[in-house]
Amino acid sequence: MFVDFFYTLRKVGIPVTPTAFLRLQKALGMGLINSVDDFYTAARAILVKSERYFDLYDQVFAHQFQGVELKEPSKSELSEIARALLEEWLQHPQLLADFLGIDESELGKLSPKELMKYFLDRLKEQTEAHHGGSKWIGTGGTSPVGHSGYHPGGMRVGGVSRNKSAVKVAMDRRYRDYSQEGPLTQSQMGEALKRLRNMVPVGPKDRINIDKTIYQTVKNAGEIEIVFDRSIKDRLKVILVIDNGGWSMEPYVDVVQTLFNYTRAQFKDLRIFFFHNTIYKYFWEDPQRYYKPYPVDELVRLDPETRFIIVGDASMAPYELSARDGSIYFEGRSGKPSIERLHFIADTFPHSVWLNPVSAYEWKYTYTIGAIRQIFPMFELTLDGLGKAVAQMMRKN
Amino acid sequence: MDEGNELRKFGGASQYVLDDELAEIVNISIALEMPLLLKGEPGTGKTMLAHAIAEALNMRLIVLNVKSSMKLIEALYQYDTLTRLNDSRFGDSTRDVSNIEEYIRMGKIGQSFVTDEKVVLLIDEIDKADTDFQDDMLDILDQMEFDIIEIDKTTAAQHRPIVIITSNAKKDLSDPFLGRCNFHHIAFPDPDMMRNIVQVHFPDVDRELLDSALQTFYRLREIKNVEKKPATRELINWIRALKADPDFRVKDLIKGQVPFLGVLFKKSPDYFVAQKSVSHFKI
Repeated sequence: MFVDFFYTLRKVGIPVTPTAFLRLQKALGMGLINSVDDFYTAARAILVKSERYFDLYDQVFAHQFQGVELKEPSKSELSEIARALLEEWLQHPQLLADFLGIDESELGKLSPKELMKYFLDRLKEQTEAHHGGSKWIGTGGTSPVGHSGYHPGGMRVGGVSRNKSAVKVAMDRRYRDYSQEGPLTQSQMGEALKRLRNMVPVGPKDRINIDKTIYQTVKNAGEIEIVFDRSIKDRLKVILVIDNGGWSMEPYVDVVQTLFNYTRAQFKDLRIFFFHNTIYKYFWEDPQRYYKPYPVDELVRLDPETRFIIVGDASMAPYELSARDGSIYFEGRSGKPSIERLHFIADTFPHSVWLNPVSAYEWKYTYTIGAIRQIFPMFELTLDGLGKAVAQMMRKN
Repeated sequence: MDEGNELRKFGGASQYVLDDELAEIVNISIALEMPLLLKGEPGTGKTMLAHAIAEALNMRLIVLNVKSSMKLIEALYQYDTLTRLNDSRFGDSTRDVSNIEEYIRMGKIGQSFVTDEKVVLLIDEIDKADTDFQDDMLDILDQMEFDIIEIDKTTAAQHRPIVIITSNAKKDLSDPFLGRCNFHHIAFPDPDMMRNIVQVHFPDVDRELLDSALQTFYRLREIKNVEKKPATRELINWIRALKADPDFRVKDLIKGQVPFLGVLFKKSPDYFVAQKSVSHFKI
């Protein structure tokens, strides 16, 4: 059963290692785990190494020890279970009547809905552990519900103890927030961008360079001469260019905003520009794209080591990208198709990426996305994509 | 496992409210002699846990505060070359210059290895350091020993310390590193738990005050677009402030006024966002 559990965890994508599994066995062997709750907690601490997988773990646990279907619909799982239990009971009306403490004939009068309510009430009322009784839901009892009861057709509810049963806890899916499906938050983004660094020596010379000190001292025939160095600090230059126009970017405002806020807080040497759909002769330093145009040609004057990040959905009419006067705005028309501008940027800044809030699996349906991907390495604006983009930008070549 | 059973005593400390789940995990980690990696929002008591364990088990606590520029070697030991250089030049100390061992100073991890007693070692905010730091630490956590290259000596832990590692980041640490730790994510305490926590700090707190303060607190935490949500620490300070203010009446909270908002929201953009939302609380 445990081996099954292990493989199910792996199957749903939780990276559980055999070593960790053996360690769990060791913990079991040491007699540290005495109940389902203990097992739930211990197995999670030992096997699952990130809260992002807690949600999946909860689901697998509920599945394995409770028979909950994996990939539940997102209704309240508890009432799902209750429904399943009810169906089970209805095949054994006698037991159900006993359990509810009412007559079998009276049972017939209750609608399934009432029955369900009755059951849920009982589940709620019960706050303390109950094992071995015959009425309440608990473990080892004779009632048809509960865990390890003798009733052959009985359903297990899991060891109900403390305040919540492990299975119930698992069914709560408390950790849903952290699963990978979750939206990108600022701190996650910060983590992904953290590796984007360029360490250079700056500031006062306040670090002792031992090697040089010894060398100089020996050269001085033993008269000590201490050599200081500057400390190493991050001085990465970043240009962030954001598509902030058009309805097509509208759904992604939140996520782009988060990226924007984070990068602004994180990088000291950051320039931000705005554009609409694609880049022509200018982009703008003000979000209204009106007051402060910045000629794209000027970019050559900036440090080519600058990391150039473009955020946009790259979705537009093909002519906007490739026609000579493709811009939908008159003043943007300059006789050079946008695609040439993009090539120019990519050539100027070898460390450039395009972050696209559109999911990667939709990319192939938009022609312009394909075209732009030929120019810039494109990544999804997700935690994963951001990580890859950072790796791309930190590459040495 | 006599030792293990003896150590299973950990069940909270005077200033720390522990949930059963975490107690279980701590005890299992102690028994398995595995480092325990704790993650969670700031203010969920990750660091406090190590203090609580040390207090409850009556052990010494050694804290390694990880800094961004820190190299692992600094946490293990330092070879004090400058003092040696100085001694060799002037020769006015009692140290033997030809004996390098006298110039080795143990770092925090080193100290936890060489002591005669079992200690609690807290490695705080490991995510601050480079990934190299974690990678280098693998062997040390595994073998509980390290080499001092300068004197070609291996220092092994006399008693495996109870290692608690905390991380604020939502991002994963490297896989091999995680493989050597037990893991727990401390969720933000729910109102009932928080009530216990507050009562531990203020045993004589007025019930009415506590109820309204908690209610307001959780309401404030729901405000959107706040970067740093108020956490346990802020709540405790806030209640302290409320108690200290002679003009404060519990009724104010119920009416939707929130005094000392600055105790809860410490970043100025957050403060303004909160202030705006609070103005909607009023009936």
